[in-house]
Amino acid sequence: MSTVMTPAAAEHTHGPVQSARPSFVGIMRGEFFKILHQRLNWILLILLGGIITFPYLIEFSLPRIKAGLTGPASGQLTFFYNGMEANLAILRIFIGIFLLILTARVIGLEYQLGTIRILLGRGVGRLQLLLAKLATIVLAALALFVLAIAYNLLLSTLLVSLVTGGLSAFNALTPQFWSDSGLYALTVLISMGVTILLATAVTSLGRSLTVGLSVALAWFPVDNIGTLFMALAYRLTQNDFWLSITAYFLGPNLNTMASVVLPLRNGQPALTIGAAPLVFTVGNQVHGIVVDGTHTMLVALVYAVIFAVVAVVLTWRRDVME
Amino acid sequence: MAETTMTAPNVNASKARSGEVVLRTRNLSKRYGSRLAVDNLNLEVRRGEIFGFLGPNGAGKTTTIRMALGLITPTTGSVEIMGEDIATHRARILPRVGALVETPALYTYLSGRSNLRAVGSVLGGVSQERIDYVLGLVGLRERQKDRVRTYSLGMKQRLGVAIALLQDPEVLILDEPANGLDPAGIVEMRDLMHRLSDEGKTVFISSHLLMEIQQMCTRVAIINLGKLVTESSVEDLTRGKGEFAVTLERPTQALAIVQQQSWGKSAHLNENGALITLAPGGRGRELNVFLVNAGFAPDTITASTQDLEEVFLRLTNSGSGGTQIQ
Repeated sequence: MSTVMTPAAAEHTHGPVQSARPSFVGIMRGEFFKILHQRLNWILLILLGGIITFPYLIEFSLPRIKAGLTGPASGQLTFFYNGMEANLAILRIFIGIFLLILTARVIGLEYQLGTIRILLGRGVGRLQLLLAKLATIVLAALALFVLAIAYNLLLSTLLVSLVTGGLSAFNALTPQFWSDSGLYALTVLISMGVTILLATAVTSLGRSLTVGLSVALAWFPVDNIGTLFMALAYRLTQNDFWLSITAYFLGPNLNTMASVVLPLRNGQPALTIGAAPLVFTVGNQVHGIVVDGTHTMLVALVYAVIFAVVAVVLTWRRDVME
Repeated sequence: MAETTMTAPNVNASKARSGEVVLRTRNLSKRYGSRLAVDNLNLEVRRGEIFGFLGPNGAGKTTTIRMALGLITPTTGSVEIMGEDIATHRARILPRVGALVETPALYTYLSGRSNLRAVGSVLGGVSQERIDYVLGLVGLRERQKDRVRTYSLGMKQRLGVAIALLQDPEVLILDEPANGLDPAGIVEMRDLMHRLSDEGKTVFISSHLLMEIQQMCTRVAIINLGKLVTESSVEDLTRGKGEFAVTLERPTQALAIVQQQSWGKSAHLNENGALITLAPGGRGRELNVFLVNAGFAPDTITASTQDLEEVFLRLTNSGSGGTQIQ
C-alpha cells in the first residue's frame, strides 16, 4: 500500500468524541471485549466443557450405575455424594488451569504486546488498570463457575433421566447434601480466588505472558510433587521438619481443604484430588502437622495476601519500560 | 553547508511562538543507577506548533516521552501538560493527549477496527463514526476487518497514529511516526501533521528523518546524552552565519575581488562553484550593487542556510562518530 492519509477522509464527520476520564467500568468493558475476542479462550472453554462431560460419560457406561440410582435412598444419596465430590474436585483443578491461563494472558499480553503504554498513556492508573483487570477476571470466573455448576446439574439430570427413566432419584437428596455441596463449592471458589491472585502476582513480577504462564502453570505441579521430595527427605533424615513444612504448601492445602471442611460421611472425608500435607503415623506417634479447615483457610488467606501485595507493589512502583 | 530557501513551516513559526505553553518540562531528570538518561531537561512546547524532538540513539528522547506520559516516574523535575502537573493530574490531562510511543503497540489478535474499539472503550464516548473517521484518515478503511498480525509495519504505524487520534486529542506525542511508511505515506503523514496543527492541535514529534522534521516542524529541540543541546525555531537553527550564496559567471575572479574587501575576507567558493560571502552591511542588496559595479552581475543571490542534518550532526558530534557535545 502506498497511500496513508486520504484527503477524502476529511470529508467525513469526525464523529462525536466525549472528553472523559478513564473509568473503571470502561476499562473492564475493554477487558471483556478483548477476552471475548481471543480465540484461545473459547478453545479452552470448550475443552473445559469436555472435561466436565467426561466423568458423566464414564458413569453412564458403568453397569452398576442403575443399581445405585434405583436402589434404596441411602444408596442413591451415596451415588449423588460421590458424583458431587468427584465433579467438583475435577472442576476445581481444571477451572484453576483455565484461570491461570486466562489471568496470565489478560495481564501478561498487555506487557508483551506493549499495549499497556497505550492504556496508561490515556491516563489510566497502573493500579486502576490492574484492579480493573482483576475485577474482570473475577467476574468472568464467577460466570464460568455458575455455568459449570449449571452444566453439571444439567448433565446429572440427563444421566438420572437416561438411566432411571425419571427424576425420582433426586428425592433422595437431603438438606445436608445441599449444605455439603455448597460448602464444597465454596472451597472451589476459594481455590479459584487464590489461583487468580497467584497468576496475577507472577505475571506482574515477570511482566510477560511467557513468564507469567510458565510460573503460574508450574506452581501447583511443583508443590504437589514437592511433597514427594519432602517425604523422601523425611525418610532419609527422620526429621519432622520435612513433613511439617508441607502443611504450609499452597497446593496441598487447597487440595485437602474440602475434605477437612466438610463433615465426615460414614466416617470418610470428602473426596479430593491431589497431594495433601504429609502426616506419617508410626506406632501411636503422629509425625507432621494434621491440618484442619481453619488451617487450610488461613494458609490460603496468607498466600492470597502475599500474592496481592506482590502484584500491587510491583505494578505500582515499577516504571513501564515495555 | 548547503543553500536552501526557507521552507513553508516557518511561516507558522511566529504564530506558534505566540501561543500558550501546552507542554513544559522543568528540570526533568531520570537516573538509572549511575547513568543519567535525562539530565535537567527544560522544554517548552506551545499550542499549535509542530515541535521536533531530535537526538541520537540513546539520547533520552523516548525516556522523556515516557515521563511525559506517566509511564516512567522522573527522578527529579516535572512535566506539565496544559498547565497541570502530570504526576498529580494524569487522569485529567492524559485523555486529552494522543500518543504513539516507539513501535506501535497493538492487539495483534484483534482487527484494526477492534483495536480502536478496545482502546476507545477505556475512556468511552468514541462513536462508530469517529472510528470510521480515523480509519479513513490513516487510510486503513479497506483493511479494518483484518487481524493486525497480518498488517505490514507501515500499516501498524498508521493504526498506531489512528489510536493516538481516536479521542481527538489536543496534544499529540508521536515517537518516530514515519517508521515503516513508504515515501508517499511519509508525505501524507506530513500533510496530516500540518492539518492537525492548523486545527490548533499541538504536535510533539520525535524522528530520525531530519529532512522530514525540517519540512514539518516549526521548532525543534536537540538533546544528546540526556541534555538539551539547543531549542530553537527551525528557521533560526538552519539560518547561515549571515552569508549569501551568489551564482555568477567568472566566480574565481569575483572571489578575488571580494576577498580584498574588509567584509569579504572569509569568502570562498562552495562545491557547486557558488560564491559564499558576507555582504557589506550584512545586506544582500549592497552585495548585489557591489558585484554589479565590479562587473560581476549575479544570476542569483540567496541567503545561505544549513540543512537540519548538518546542524544536528554538528551539535551532537555524530558525524565524527562521537556523541560528546562540543
